Amino acid sequence: MIGILLAKFKTFIRNPWTFFIFTGMSIVFALMIGGTGGMSSIPVPVSSADDIKESAIGEALEENEVYTFNWMAEEEMKKRVSSGKAEAGVILKEDSYEVIVGVASSNVEMIEQTIQGVYVEKRQNEKLLEMMGADTESSQQEFLDNMEQSIESPVFSIEASSFRSADAVVHDSASHSLFGFTLFFVIYTIAYNVLSILIEKKDGIWDRMILSPVKKWEMYVSNLLYSFFEGYLQVIVIFLVFRYWFGIDFNGRFLEMLLLLFPYVFSIVALSIFITACVKNTQQFNAVLPIIAVSMAMIGGAYWPLEIVSSEILLALAKINPLTYGMEILNGVAVYGYSLEELLFPISILILMGVVFMGIGIHLMERRHV
Amino acid sequence: MLELVDLTKRFKQNEAVKNLNMFIEKGEIVGLLGPNGAGKSTAISMLSSLVEPTSGDVRYNNKSILRNPGPIREVLGMVPQEIALYDDLSALENLQFFGRIYKLKGKELQIKIAEVLEQIGLTDRKKDIVKTFSGGMKRRLNIGVAMLHDPEIIIMDEPTVGIDPQSRNYILETVKRLNEEKQMTVLYTSHYMEEVEFLCDRIYIMDQGNLIASGTKEEIKQILSSEHTISIKADRWNDRFIEKLKNNPTIHRVKVEDREITIVVPKEVNMFATLAKMAEEADLELRSVDINAPTLEDVFLHLTGRALRD
Ligand SMILES: Nc1ncnc2c1ncn2[C@@H]1O[C@H](COP(=O)(O)OP(=O)(O)O)[C@@H](O)[C@H]1O
Ligand SMILES: [Mg+2]
Repeated sequence: MIGILLAKFKTFIRNPWTFFIFTGMSIVFALMIGGTGGMSSIPVPVSSADDIKESAIGEALEENEVYTFNWMAEEEMKKRVSSGKAEAGVILKEDSYEVIVGVASSNVEMIEQTIQGVYVEKRQNEKLLEMMGADTESSQQEFLDNMEQSIESPVFSIEASSFRSADAVVHDSASHSLFGFTLFFVIYTIAYNVLSILIEKKDGIWDRMILSPVKKWEMYVSNLLYSFFEGYLQVIVIFLVFRYWFGIDFNGRFLEMLLLLFPYVFSIVALSIFITACVKNTQQFNAVLPIIAVSMAMIGGAYWPLEIVSSEILLALAKINPLTYGMEILNGVAVYGYSLEELLFPISILILMGVVFMGIGIHLMERRHV
Repeated sequence: MLELVDLTKRFKQNEAVKNLNMFIEKGEIVGLLGPNGAGKSTAISMLSSLVEPTSGDVRYNNKSILRNPGPIREVLGMVPQEIALYDDLSALENLQFFGRIYKLKGKELQIKIAEVLEQIGLTDRKKDIVKTFSGGMKRRLNIGVAMLHDPEIIIMDEPTVGIDPQSRNYILETVKRLNEEKQMTVLYTSHYMEEVEFLCDRIYIMDQGNLIASGTKEEIKQILSSEHTISIKADRWNDRFIEKLKNNPTIHRVKVEDREITIVVPKEVNMFATLAKMAEEADLELRSVDINAPTLEDVFLHLTGRALRD
């Protein structure tokens, strides 16, 4: 068994590129999508008198990550809305606003809420300044800056946004996409390692081992153990980069979070052996894996929070998806601050799934003749 | 020592091996000859306990190995038809890996590896990655890996497919040496009859899952004992001469090539005078007339009506 593991490590050292590529992709995607938010922002046309664009309201709108507000003349804005180029447009005034609705959609509601929030904040700030008795422009500015700084954490902020329903959803977009992409890409690293069982079977290396004194279980255990190791190494590397390079402190529960990834990585190793047992050859595996990984990521909420999904079918599918529980554990620890007891459910589900997939997977693998 | 009894393997509709009976004695080199798809690899897999037969038995020292494959696995060295090596590791690392799974370690492993490297002639290239090897070198390493644990019986499944003549000779010589120096028992599978003819004491010939002939080289060739193959050489042919050959009732078969005509005739007939007369009548000058000893190729042709090689 040690011999098999040694051979795996040597192969890895000789050829670590797949590992680095998937690790790198997780980091890059998490940064691109989570870090700036620019990629997913929705354009909204606005028009107003000039001074509002320069005012606190204009600035607040500029800072919004979900929507990009494009300033234009009222005529132009109305034309865009009526021609369907934009779902809605906004006319801003000194103390009030108007939303021009083209298509009634959840986005329109959210735009309205966003704008409303900005006006509420402006009014609050004015009230505050009044109470503070700050009257010169520079002292006002200083006060506002201080306040802003204390509200926002520098790079990764927690933003509160309400979706369709009235309950507020805490959604930390940076951590979320970091978790999502990490859990997503690690599927590839693990699956391709488990696939080597199939390749070794086809190449006859497996037969050679069967004829040797090595036991069957040792062959499986060392292969799966190694796949686990490489997958786990990948998530650790990614989280270390974000912890020490980008300074995210994951709610101060960094170590705990790493340990709690064990069940997820285990369940993916098990899922991989199941997939490997079901495909006929490497080509089929290559075709099937991205479909499974991507749908798992979409259904499991790696790309967007599950809270915005309303389809019953998708939610049901999410319940049998290890990635859902992986996200739940990570978000639970690092965003919501759940205790260990509260996480016991997703942990047990992952372990259960792992045991079931592994049992069926190895059974199928043994029954077929490659 | 090793015996196959009525061994049959069925893959769905396809019967890959049908009622195969074979035996191998200690110290022999036995050849298993047959074209692609004959069922050689399937037979070997059953013999080595990797594939379960549909029916029949495999016996090692008079005990069935189907239930208890331990004893055969211990003494068996298997050289699979496909190259079963880690491509990203060096020759040395491959040998270390396969040695370790046979529980060799430390000094013992080192000595064994050095010995095997010498035997397969890869000592100079041991640090190189297998990926960079030529086909012949890979084949040699493929054999070497199977010899680390000093097997008593070595089974080779077409170990010379797709390699250059030098590597091929090297492998054949190695096999012969192993047999002579270490009394290693060898089962050698091939679809090249020259190899089997060169190496083997006894030969089994398979075709489409059936055993169609078996015995020593001489015994098998006795199948053709009633016929001779005669090759006639000349600088050119004319139609009259070929016509005469084809119309002669004692000549069984006529194969015309550029400068050589092969005919098959009953053994007791003396053809020299007849051929000379025919040539004279056809106004043709013959260069030579030779009686050929039959080859295994001829036997296969005789038994199946097809050539051994595709
Ligand atoms: N695993 C398998 N499943 C189905 N058919 C097989 C399998 N292995 C071999 N066969 C079939 O059995 C026949 C014999 O194959 P094989 O033993 O590989 O022949 P050889 O080694 O003499 O070339 C072939 O027709 C082949 O297609
Ligand atoms: Mg074969």
